[in-house]
Amino acid sequence: MKRSMLRGFALAGVLVLTAAACTGGGGDGDEGNGPVTITVLDYYGEATPFSKDVIDRFEADHPDIKVKYEAGDWDTMHEKFTVRVSGGDSPDVATMDMTWIPTFASKQIFADLSDLSGGQLNGSAIEDHYQPGAIEAMTFDGHYVTMMFDFDAYGLYYRADQFEAKGIDVPTTWDEFRDAAKKLAEDTDGDGVCDKYCFEVYGNDCFHWCQLLFQAGGSILNEDNTAAAFNSPAGLKSLEFYKSFIDDGSGIYWGDAQGEPIRGIKDERLGMFLDGPYYMGLLKSGAPDLKGKWAVAPPPVDVEPGSYLGGTGLSIPVNAPHPDQAWTFIQYMLEQQQQVGVFTLAGAAPATTAALQSPELTKPDPYFGGEAPFGVFKDSMATATHFPYVEQWDPIDTDIGNMVQSVMLGKATPQEALDTYEAKVNEELAG
Amino acid sequence: MALYAALIGTSILMIGPFYWAIATSFKPSGDVFASPPKFIPNPWTLANYREVFTLLPFGRYLLNSVIVTGAIVGLNVIFDTAAAYAFAKLRFPGRNVLFFLLLITLMIPFQVNLIPLYRIMVGLHDLSPHLGIDTYSALILPGAIQVFGIFLMRQFLASIPDDILESARVDGASEFSILARIVFPIALPGMATLAIFTFLGAWNDFLWPLLVINTDSMRTLPVGLALLARRNTVNWGDTMAGTTLTAGPMIIVFLFLQRRFIEGLTAGSVKG
Amino acid sequence: MLPAYVLIAPAILSAIVFLYVPIAYSGFWSFTEYSGLGTAKWVGLANYRDLLADEDFLKALWNTVLFVLIGMGIGPVLGFLSALLLNQAVRFRAFFRAAYFLPVMTSLVVVASIWKVLLNDQGIINQIFSLFQLPTRTWLDDTTTALPAVAVTSIWQGFGFETVVFLAALQAIPRDYYDAAKVDGASYWQQVRHITLPSLRPTIMFVYIIGIIGSFQVFDQIFVMTSGGPINSTRTLVFDLFERFNQLELGQASAVAYFLLVILASLSYIQIFLFERGRR
Repeated sequence: MKRSMLRGFALAGVLVLTAAACTGGGGDGDEGNGPVTITVLDYYGEATPFSKDVIDRFEADHPDIKVKYEAGDWDTMHEKFTVRVSGGDSPDVATMDMTWIPTFASKQIFADLSDLSGGQLNGSAIEDHYQPGAIEAMTFDGHYVTMMFDFDAYGLYYRADQFEAKGIDVPTTWDEFRDAAKKLAEDTDGDGVCDKYCFEVYGNDCFHWCQLLFQAGGSILNEDNTAAAFNSPAGLKSLEFYKSFIDDGSGIYWGDAQGEPIRGIKDERLGMFLDGPYYMGLLKSGAPDLKGKWAVAPPPVDVEPGSYLGGTGLSIPVNAPHPDQAWTFIQYMLEQQQQVGVFTLAGAAPATTAALQSPELTKPDPYFGGEAPFGVFKDSMATATHFPYVEQWDPIDTDIGNMVQSVMLGKATPQEALDTYEAKVNEELAG
Repeated sequence: MALYAALIGTSILMIGPFYWAIATSFKPSGDVFASPPKFIPNPWTLANYREVFTLLPFGRYLLNSVIVTGAIVGLNVIFDTAAAYAFAKLRFPGRNVLFFLLLITLMIPFQVNLIPLYRIMVGLHDLSPHLGIDTYSALILPGAIQVFGIFLMRQFLASIPDDILESARVDGASEFSILARIVFPIALPGMATLAIFTFLGAWNDFLWPLLVINTDSMRTLPVGLALLARRNTVNWGDTMAGTTLTAGPMIIVFLFLQRRFIEGLTAGSVKG
Repeated sequence: MLPAYVLIAPAILSAIVFLYVPIAYSGFWSFTEYSGLGTAKWVGLANYRDLLADEDFLKALWNTVLFVLIGMGIGPVLGFLSALLLNQAVRFRAFFRAAYFLPVMTSLVVVASIWKVLLNDQGIINQIFSLFQLPTRTWLDDTTTALPAVAVTSIWQGFGFETVVFLAALQAIPRDYYDAAKVDGASYWQQVRHITLPSLRPTIMFVYIIGIIGSFQVFDQIFVMTSGGPINSTRTLVFDLFERFNQLELGQASAVAYFLLVILASLSYIQIFLFERGRR
């Protein structure tokens, strides 16, 4: 009896090992036999430019490539993407927030697109397709690590119907901005805290406050990106200005635990906020019943117009299974039709120069009262400043977000916070 | 009387949040934070549940949890008991040393193993796309045999009288058949307790599945729920539907097996 | 003899592959710089030194200690008191016991998700508080209240375990001890102090050892409710490990794991030592 049991075990063991070894060799889509499947991972959510239609058309044009689309989300990608790549489980194409590029690229996780593309995009030089600012953003260590896909610069979203009802003019200066916010906000339960049509004070990243820093004539880091430069009169002024909305009772601090701001827009707690073009799409899908009530204007100016420049890029991980086919797909997404689709499908702004000039983008939009807000973002882009392209940008972005939070939550005075975080950022840059 | 008032009061505090979660899962999104709060959803809707199954693959998450937990429980019950039998009832050189070596691993917090285990799974995945990261094997294998289970069963099996086993051996039975035909039936209550503990741990396991699964379709219920809850959803009703689905099976199992569970739990601790 | 080895082989193999080998590698990697892409580079004690100088890690350590103090300060006490209550109750004891134990059975992710909704700015807790004129806060968004809020959630989830354990232990205390004390005229609380608590010593030690080990490893609730924020005010040791893992700093993450190991081992030994001493 014992003998046979032992033999049984041994046989089972051998079978299992053989099975594992056999299934190991295959892999998907062997060279030359049958279509290759590429995995495309994005973070757009419901309103994505990678719609079924778009993908179907690609597959029809390229019978040798099949696309497996994976819907990710911004948070998870920010957190897990590098781990995924290091774990050998890479997609072929992934959307990357431009602010992640320097930090991720420094970990060597991106494929060299200059190499892969031979410098050509859809029949002409890559440089022909983009404005110089974008070209700079896509470069790391002398080569391209991403192809910019959509761009992000800020505009002022406001409740036009409330402005009209309360006789408020669209603000163009900081003083007018504060006044407008005060007139717009309502404190329905009299507790001194704004309850309705408040201005959104968002503290979790550099984007929202940094644009104010730029408008006051300041900058985040110094010329050669070796030290923090935001602890300046412009820094203090802009931080105090941002806080003043909360102190005035016209602003509401929107923290993480509150969920997405679209909630506040839907229940009308928010009446004014500064954000990027993709919010146009979010408003339409998330708050359809507020159609015709919202409008977009250029952000108010202090010393000079200023906005943060961000966006999304398409990258190929260094160990992607099918880099050549991935590049084919990326080129497809940068064709005019798909780029215009970034606007029509996701409500975001396309990144290629050609697409930016498409008349589609400036068609009257019924949601925004027949206006075409796109022009506002395009103008913003022209005067926008991009974030510093340093390896440590991701942690520095977090630090600056923490700094803003600490001031808005009343944990530190603006000057204290500036001092504390200047030290932190300098440490980050040195270490 | 005050005694029962206190007991009822605290029971409300314990059950209240669950009730609130279930109630909220049936509220339309606008009512989630209605003021004054609606203790009974009115109007009520199944929209959240529908969304949770269509927008997110909650059905898939449920299936994955069932498969993974089932496998872990099954494997543990069989292999833990088998090893426990050997340690409890068989004499062999190195028995005490080996058992001790197993026992001391209980002292190590599992976070110490996390990263290397992850890399092992990465390596397995390179070997074969059916093993390692993003597969059931990564979720099942590390937890398939648990030292705590062996320990538990050994305590239990130690009390089986040796003569039953002796007489079976005298009759010519192999250890394997003794295990299968005599020990397993007697050990059933212990194995049931083991099954419950293992079920609890495996169903609610979070950090490891979070780490080792990247593809949404392979995620387990707790991970799917956590990502939903963390994603700053617009509609908290969805999240509450998710919690109801995740906690539901566990609570139902618990309500039926309460006594056995608590007995198993407290048996070791009271003796001290 | 051979059958014995066959029977324990799967367990031994599993322990080697999934426990011993990882523990060893973890230790090795804690002395290296390793991103998972490429090879590990030896750096000696650098990770350990850097961690002790790293604000984020130190904050994580501090937050975790705070969390454990709050949780283990309140939890077992609640558990003990509720066990006393249950012990007195004759009717429906099983029902009440089930009520206390219910949260213990549910996944921390479920509990955290539910409490995230309860603690929302517009959530029911704030609504009830404002009804009773109590201060309402943005519980999870405020650096002073975030950690306590998570701690309260965890206490709510876990004290039922202590209740059940204490209850079983209470029921094992012989009645005559109490009867004798009552004859001597001892009040209820005096009985508790002089009979109940001493008899419960081993149980108390068990509860604290298990509880402290568990609390130090807190992660699930942090991930769901606050992601370590705001401004690192809820960053705990295991969450810190997780973050470093995500940043592909596997060497540092391994060092954090070993810190945790050392802390837990020391605490367990200290507790056992104190208990043995106290026994005399």
